[in-house]
Amino acid sequence: MAELKQINFTINEQKVAVPAGTLVIDAAKRMEMEVPSFCYYKGLSLQAACRMCLVEVEKMPKLQTACTLTATEGMIVRTDTPQVHDARKNMLEFLLSNHPLDCPVCDKGGECELQDMTFRYGLDHSRFNEEKLHYPEEKWSPLVYYDAPRCILCFRCVRVCDEGMDVKALGVGARGVQSVILPNTSGALNCEECGACIDICPVGALTSGTYRYQTRPWEMTYVSEPCTHCSNGCKTTLSVRNNEILRANNRDQSGINGEFLCGKGRFGFDFTNNAERIRQPLIRRDGKLSPATWEDAFEEIARRLKQVRDKSGAASIGVIGSNHTTNEENYLLNRFARLNLGTNNLDHHRTADYAGLATALGANTLPAQATMADIYAANNILVIGNDPSQQNPLVAWQIRTAIRHHNAKLFLINSQPTKLERQSSLTIRVPAGAEAAAVRWLARGEGNFPEEITGQLAKLKETLEQALDAVVLFGAAIAGQAIRDLFTFGSRLKASTRLMALGDYANSRGAADFGVFPDRLPGYAPLSDAGERDRFSKLWGGEIPAAAGMTAKQMMDAAGSGKLKALYVVGANPVKTFGAKKSDKLGSLDLLIVQDLFLTETAQRADVVLPAASSYEKDGTMTSTSGELQMTHRSIDPQGPRSDFDLIRILSYQLSQLGMGPAIRLRTPEAALDEIRQNIPGYRVSAANLMAGGAERTGAAPQSTENSYSVPEGAIFSSQDSLFSSGTLGRYCSRLNSCNEAKEKPWSSSPNIQSWWYR
Amino acid sequence: MSPAEQARPLQIPATLDAKFVQLIGRYPIKRSALIPMMMYAQDYYGFVGDDVLAEIARRLDLNMTQVTETLAYYSMLRRKPMGKYHIQVCTNVSCMLRGGNETLAHLRKRLSIGHKEITPSGTFSLEEVECMGACTGAPCVQVNYDYFEQLTPILVDELLEQLQTGMKTKPVACTTGSIHERHELEVPVISRRFGIENSRKIDVYRQHDGYKALEKAVREMTPEAIIDEVKKSNLRGRGGAGFPTGMKWSFVPKDSPKPKYILCNADESEPGTCKDRPLMEHDPHQLIEGITIAGRAIGSKQGYIYIRGEYRYVLDIVDAALAEAYAAGYLGKNILGSGFDFDLYTHTGAGAYECGEESALMESLEGKRGYPRIKPPFPAVVGLYGGPTVINNVESLSAVPSIILRGGEWYAGLGTPKNGGTRMLCISGHVNHPGIYEVPLGLNMKRAIEELGGGVRDGKKLKAVIPGGSSCPLLKADEIDIAMDYDSVAKAGSMLGSGGMVVIDEDTCMVDMARRIMHFYAHESCGWCIPCREGTAWLRKMLDRFHDGGGTSEDIPLIGELAQNMLGKTFCPLGDAAAMPTISIVKKWKNEFEDHLKGKCAYRPANDLLVLA
Ligand SMILES: Cc1cc2nc3c(=O)[nH]c(=O)nc-3n(C[C@H](O)[C@H](O)[C@H](O)COP(=O)(O)O)c2cc1C
Ligand code: SF4
Ligand code: SF4
Ligand code: SF4
Ligand code: FES
Repeated sequence: MAELKQINFTINEQKVAVPAGTLVIDAAKRMEMEVPSFCYYKGLSLQAACRMCLVEVEKMPKLQTACTLTATEGMIVRTDTPQVHDARKNMLEFLLSNHPLDCPVCDKGGECELQDMTFRYGLDHSRFNEEKLHYPEEKWSPLVYYDAPRCILCFRCVRVCDEGMDVKALGVGARGVQSVILPNTSGALNCEECGACIDICPVGALTSGTYRYQTRPWEMTYVSEPCTHCSNGCKTTLSVRNNEILRANNRDQSGINGEFLCGKGRFGFDFTNNAERIRQPLIRRDGKLSPATWEDAFEEIARRLKQVRDKSGAASIGVIGSNHTTNEENYLLNRFARLNLGTNNLDHHRTADYAGLATALGANTLPAQATMADIYAANNILVIGNDPSQQNPLVAWQIRTAIRHHNAKLFLINSQPTKLERQSSLTIRVPAGAEAAAVRWLARGEGNFPEEITGQLAKLKETLEQALDAVVLFGAAIAGQAIRDLFTFGSRLKASTRLMALGDYANSRGAADFGVFPDRLPGYAPLSDAGERDRFSKLWGGEIPAAAGMTAKQMMDAAGSGKLKALYVVGANPVKTFGAKKSDKLGSLDLLIVQDLFLTETAQRADVVLPAASSYEKDGTMTSTSGELQMTHRSIDPQGPRSDFDLIRILSYQLSQLGMGPAIRLRTPEAALDEIRQNIPGYRVSAANLMAGGAERTGAAPQSTENSYSVPEGAIFSSQDSLFSSGTLGRYCSRLNSCNEAKEKPWSSSPNIQSWWYR
Repeated sequence: MSPAEQARPLQIPATLDAKFVQLIGRYPIKRSALIPMMMYAQDYYGFVGDDVLAEIARRLDLNMTQVTETLAYYSMLRRKPMGKYHIQVCTNVSCMLRGGNETLAHLRKRLSIGHKEITPSGTFSLEEVECMGACTGAPCVQVNYDYFEQLTPILVDELLEQLQTGMKTKPVACTTGSIHERHELEVPVISRRFGIENSRKIDVYRQHDGYKALEKAVREMTPEAIIDEVKKSNLRGRGGAGFPTGMKWSFVPKDSPKPKYILCNADESEPGTCKDRPLMEHDPHQLIEGITIAGRAIGSKQGYIYIRGEYRYVLDIVDAALAEAYAAGYLGKNILGSGFDFDLYTHTGAGAYECGEESALMESLEGKRGYPRIKPPFPAVVGLYGGPTVINNVESLSAVPSIILRGGEWYAGLGTPKNGGTRMLCISGHVNHPGIYEVPLGLNMKRAIEELGGGVRDGKKLKAVIPGGSSCPLLKADEIDIAMDYDSVAKAGSMLGSGGMVVIDEDTCMVDMARRIMHFYAHESCGWCIPCREGTAWLRKMLDRFHDGGGTSEDIPLIGELAQNMLGKTFCPLGDAAAMPTISIVKKWKNEFEDHLKGKCAYRPANDLLVLA
């Protein structure tokens, strides 16, 4: 980007230099001089509607709105004169004239921008002696309520829904003082339910169905951590009172998601206290799962695992890991499987080919993979085989914002129509399953496509060849060789090309990075590399078996055929995922151990079930699909369940007592993270930043010379989650489900069109 | 799928369907057809129902929010049926001064219904409305789109009778007061064809210099020369702000990658103003010629005439004239063989004063709520559809053919220095001869009232004058011995405005005046910015209470103070327009406010006016 010209001007007698084009309100903010504002919202279109930001500018007869005034050379601005203070006082007086002033019962009380402004700049009494306007409160959806009298008509909600979300579900009704915000379908909101409008509302006009009238902001504690649903790694702030999460929102906007959260991040926390949560261990007795003590459960598991191993050998034991557990837990599970169980039958449901990406990029991984910020900064974005608006909401937001803020160009290669097509410069529709072939065409000019598609691909290629930068995002269809093709294509461009694999769950990237694979150790170290095996053997203090194990799908098949005798499932639901509906097959297992939050389809068949804590209830780190590492925290005590970290650690100890491998020495997630930081290439990150709530870029990649890689048949597939589903976990989020229900049976709070919406 | 897509496509009758197709074809962006489509659909169905709205949304690729919020803004558009005859009664200042309130009261009594109510049979409905541009024919009502002016209770009864029995009614043929014997103070330039039989026909127009200026402009003059001529004429915008027209045109960048547009502002809604209406109904070709010349001057190929929704019959007249002009080759491709292409269409508004503000007009023309835009950029640089745009009032553009034909200097010479030419003066209120007169700029205001208007009626004394529409500060009887040009009126503390002069006699209650004026601005505030949205509503309620006898001594300074707090701080000039007359009234007639505290209204019993919703 060309160096921007500097503009010198003066605010409150202080000289400043800012880049050309800077708004006075931003310049003032940077100098910590407050210019109050309601309608101005960085990143959204300008309004100049609230008139709170009026400032004095020398040589201009009228007060000017700082939110639309660009600084010019020699301009002299004053934000602190009696005239300016009077104007603020006047605006607030006008604003409060019809405001209900029901602060004592308003949800926003204590964190309301109108309260704050009035406290600082307002009159201490009211001169309004007329009757105030009244409107009934409206319920727009199970999650969104609107209270018109409190609305100050700053239009932030309308803009964030339109410009930010490209949903356009909110509009303005009537006009003048009767103006109100209206939802899109006669009295009801039919939208993506992201709740951004609630967060952005400066007052208590838009309130959340999950939180309203439950508490006061100052009675809660706040814990920020990555969202537990999709792989995008949004930071969400959990508001907790009395060991209950009452709200999730975007309080400090300091995450990689900036101000974004989708409905899952904002409303999908209530699984934590779902009545179906398992709160104590269960052991199958007389064919029925019955409550048991922790001692009995651990003893049972250890004893029976030993039996299986002694009878059928370690290779008859399998482990299916999770896309939701923390990095530390995955790291522990890896060690546990190889050292305590002595098996390499370890895998998870792979939703994107992170291993393929890491092997293709190799030492280049860190610079060559895209972060969420890179998407925003990019001028050219190519998405292949994914619908980010449904599957990767933050990614979609970043793309839209890049287009909106700096005209980034978007290209799509998809087999299905997607919402992002509205913004794309070129949409190439390929037959389902032909995404990889399209990439091959780009990289090597090979492949048979109809003329129209070839033409489009050629155009895309030509455009990207001219481009100065490019970010390429791809879903599960691009794996193995296709990623290498993509990398080849990218490295031939003159642009710096960055890649991002789009997986599905909160820590699917972490499962891959920490080697929950039959053939790879943490950091994608190939199991076949004796040196790497040796390195981990030394680090962990035990022997790692050499032969590659079974994939998850193979394990499921082997469980059916009787080859596999024991299966340990951690935070996964393979019965559902691998379509093993008919897998009474699992019935031929001697031992099925499941560690989860709920009695999933898999857990229902288990011999022993251990209740596990969710990521909102434990400490650790998680890696987003873009490789960005963040810390998760124990925001509430799960009351019964324990973290997978503890469960694996205890099991390891139990097995060691029976002579099965060494016990895990790491006692806390912090200790595990230290070990990770020291030993996993790509994870040598600053702990201080993590602890402060920041995100650290990681780039785990194999350091080995043995670099062959191929994708096992059918191992990688997406869960095809939408904005309202989140794998098995989503089924226990009653708020998300209430949205689904409302969508099926259109909600209408008002059978008659509300008369006050019209002139 | 959006609900718009889900809805079963509605069978649109052929005539309406043809209209829809025609409307959509007029704009580079489909959404622009939204408001006209809703208006025509409403004309057909009586209201805009869910199914029609969904069908319109479908045709324009819009979602339900977009169409609903747009509809919701405009006061003429409705979601529920009204009576077969929807009677709209103006009670704004010009009508109020001549019996508008009494007309309304009479109708309410006769029909036993109130504001926005329907008679049980569904035959009639009633609505109190804002100024409809019939100020010189006050008091007036509109039945559907027909104007009935200079009403009395007897005439109202007659009208109801005719409507009820299905007899033919007699709406006015043209704006009352637009055709009269010429007074010696008048200098008819743009109104010179008023009164000629069939003046709106192209043949008649051509017999009276018609399209000669256009021929000259496209054949003999460069665009620069046209702009120079207009600059020389000292023509200043007649829409209210008085900005020099030639200068405005010269701001348009010569080479712009985006198409340029020329817009004619025919939203005439400033209370007291009714001059654009006769200019269009008597001489539409003069306007078309003026716009086409302006298009040539700035290098535009496309123009629109934004006509307020109430002026539907005027729009029909202009549409007929446009068809004639196209047929005669004055519009369309290769005009008069000069290689200059220019298209011009009408566009109907739907009831919103704010849409007369130039940038709100552009939003409205783009099919959105009429919110004004942030300036800069100014329309000349970024206007309609983001292209450079010139927007001028009907009267300004109507003056262009004469300027081109007879020269800018000649035109300038008709007025005073820096205030070129003539202007249309609408004199309404308490005068003997309400009417629309074309006078040179700089005419003495007192003479205009006395000689043109025939003085205050019934031998009463003059109390106050609104010089140019209700947005101007009012002048007292002893402040009007001034020249009517932009600068002199400004010096006297008011504005020349839009030419809508309202004369107020000694018996008028000025508290009532302030109250009625504030009703208008509160009704028309678009609601975008806090001070105007809340300030007008607060002041309206306060002035209602005060006028009805509920005032306190603290109220008097507070009224002025609140208006002052709005002044200069609102987003667009509408807020100032609400503040200025109010400030002048409390300041100049404070005694009347004080009198109100002592008893009731000092002059006339309080009117039982409907509170406009
Ligand atoms: C609230 C408001 C309403 C207006 N209404 C009209 C109108 O109805 N007709 C008009 O010509 N100008 C109106 N104007 C002025 C226009 O903004 C604009 O100045 C004018 O159309 C320019 O044309 P002119 O230069 O030929 O006067 C209005 C301005 C405001 C602020
Ligand atoms: S609901 Fe909230 S965000 Fe939306 S306009 Fe009203 S105050 Fe602003
Ligand atoms: S985009 Fe993904 S990470 Fe972000 S809030 Fe939604 S589900 Fe959570
Ligand atoms: S002053 Fe503000 S509220 Fe009033 S009309 Fe203009 S923009 Fe709308
Ligand atoms: S912040 Fe500038 S007008 Fe609202």
